[in-house]
Amino acid sequence: MTTTMSTPGGTDVRPAASAEPPIRARRQEGGTILAVPALIWYLVFMVGPMIAIFVIAALRWPGMLQPVSFAGFDNVRTVFDDPVLWDAVRNTAVQLAVALPVMIVCAYMLGYYVAQKPPGHRVLRYLLFIPGLISTPAKAMVFYAALSPDGLVNGALKSVGLGSVTDAWLASPSTALACLIVLDIWGGIGFTAVLFAARLGSVPEELGEAAQLDGAGHWRTMWGVHFPVIREYVGVVTMLQFLWTFFGSAQHVLLLTQGGPGSSSTTLSFLVYQKAFIAADLGYSQTVGVLLFLVGLVGLLTIRRAFRQNY
Amino acid sequence: MKHGKSWLPAHILAWAYAALLVVPLYYLLASAFKTNEQIFASPFSLPTSLSFGNFDTAFESADLGLAVVNSALVTSFSLVLTLGLAIPAAFAIARATGPLGAFVEKVFSLGFLIPTFAALFPTFLLAAATGLFHTRMFMVLFLPATAMPLSVVILVQFMRTIPKEMEEAARMDGASTFAVLRHVYTPMCLPGIATVLLLNFLTFWNEYLYSLVIIGPDPSQRTVQVALPTLKSLTGTDYGVLTAGTVLTLVPVWAVYTVLQKRMQQALVSGAVKM
Repeated sequence: MTTTMSTPGGTDVRPAASAEPPIRARRQEGGTILAVPALIWYLVFMVGPMIAIFVIAALRWPGMLQPVSFAGFDNVRTVFDDPVLWDAVRNTAVQLAVALPVMIVCAYMLGYYVAQKPPGHRVLRYLLFIPGLISTPAKAMVFYAALSPDGLVNGALKSVGLGSVTDAWLASPSTALACLIVLDIWGGIGFTAVLFAARLGSVPEELGEAAQLDGAGHWRTMWGVHFPVIREYVGVVTMLQFLWTFFGSAQHVLLLTQGGPGSSSTTLSFLVYQKAFIAADLGYSQTVGVLLFLVGLVGLLTIRRAFRQNY
Repeated sequence: MKHGKSWLPAHILAWAYAALLVVPLYYLLASAFKTNEQIFASPFSLPTSLSFGNFDTAFESADLGLAVVNSALVTSFSLVLTLGLAIPAAFAIARATGPLGAFVEKVFSLGFLIPTFAALFPTFLLAAATGLFHTRMFMVLFLPATAMPLSVVILVQFMRTIPKEMEEAARMDGASTFAVLRHVYTPMCLPGIATVLLLNFLTFWNEYLYSLVIIGPDPSQRTVQVALPTLKSLTGTDYGVLTAGTVLTLVPVWAVYTVLQKRMQQALVSGAVKM
């Protein structure tokens, strides 16, 4: 809905400009100086640190106050020889492979449902947005309280006679990672569904009606007609969720399980944090940081390709 | 018959999920008024009294009052700085016609590709090098930078919809570039500014990891998001106090969302669209 807004403006401006006298063009170009402070800010605080990751990854730096020396590719070797890294890779892969498809598919269907304006859709929309408003620590505290041995989940299980299934969910190696994934999905579906609903709201209604006249059921209309139309948007949202899950997991892990028990819930992004601020192995940490950056980039490009508009 | 019988499973599933969202929040709110024993014995029951004892304890043991003030300071100063930087930049880009403007726009939109999280440690070094480590000040300087790409892109799109004639008319009256920005562009893209403001309010208020690492544990400086998890260990996990603290951090966002529901949703949706 916003892309359509910008395109007419953008195309209006350009042809007019080429016909204008050079003096006017120079004055307009001079206004570009107003962008300089923002640009400097952004280069100093974002681009600078980003480049520094690559530099630190090539250093041997065993602690903040320790002497620093050049390590070349030594860190890469250390990192790849470390079994903890491979645990983290596996955990991250599991997390993404489970959370992302579940979240996007459920959110799309839910978003479609809301966009059809069923009874009570306003209330539903209000509720679905709630997870998008809650900060990570607050979300983690809710889950911490709910999943504790005496918390909501075990209480509910006991009250329906499933007392034998209860567990110390966050402290058990078999369920710690699953809890983190559930947390991602829990909040992700609602928030993403509202995004989809907003986009689906701008799809012309005739499209769905025409499909129904042709005898398509709701399921067919949802996946066969509307999905292709907003395919590109689904791609954008998938990219966002991928980034949030991939990079954001560090916070949930830090708040809920500290990567444990053992390394059963250590993810790649938590490893970056843990090596830098707990183990103080800075070269190692930033080498994983570089890995994280590269995997993130490859992931983005792959998702973008997969969702490219194909008509 | 648009939502006929065949919709029944959809109705059930959608509202079941809504219940999954609401139940933990109900639990959160109800627990804030209970003691540990009451929470364990009957997690779903309504609280028997509406005493604010847990809130008092949360306030005192984690210095939440001060933390709320710190968060409010960091959030509001960062918002002012973000707008101060992004509005002129968007203005410059929106009316630039040459390759330079297009280049600057591209640089900003590439910002979406930068995962700020990976740069956490170098940012920490930067804070140490500037002598602003363990201060709120660094966060006030840093947060606007992270918000710059999205804010500029959103504002540029709003500013492009302003007809050129508006500026030309102002020029005839002898307005300077700065006056054009102040009296034509800024008032005309107030909806865009509101979007940017809400979007960043939410991100800044909820920011956790950078605040934790850079501001650190000092109670006189830390934000409410950093103070909140400390309640877990400080109180020996008194769930009543923990949930009361959590409720407190949600109040400002909640209030803004309930009043500006439509606008807030628009802001968040457009935040995702632009990326």
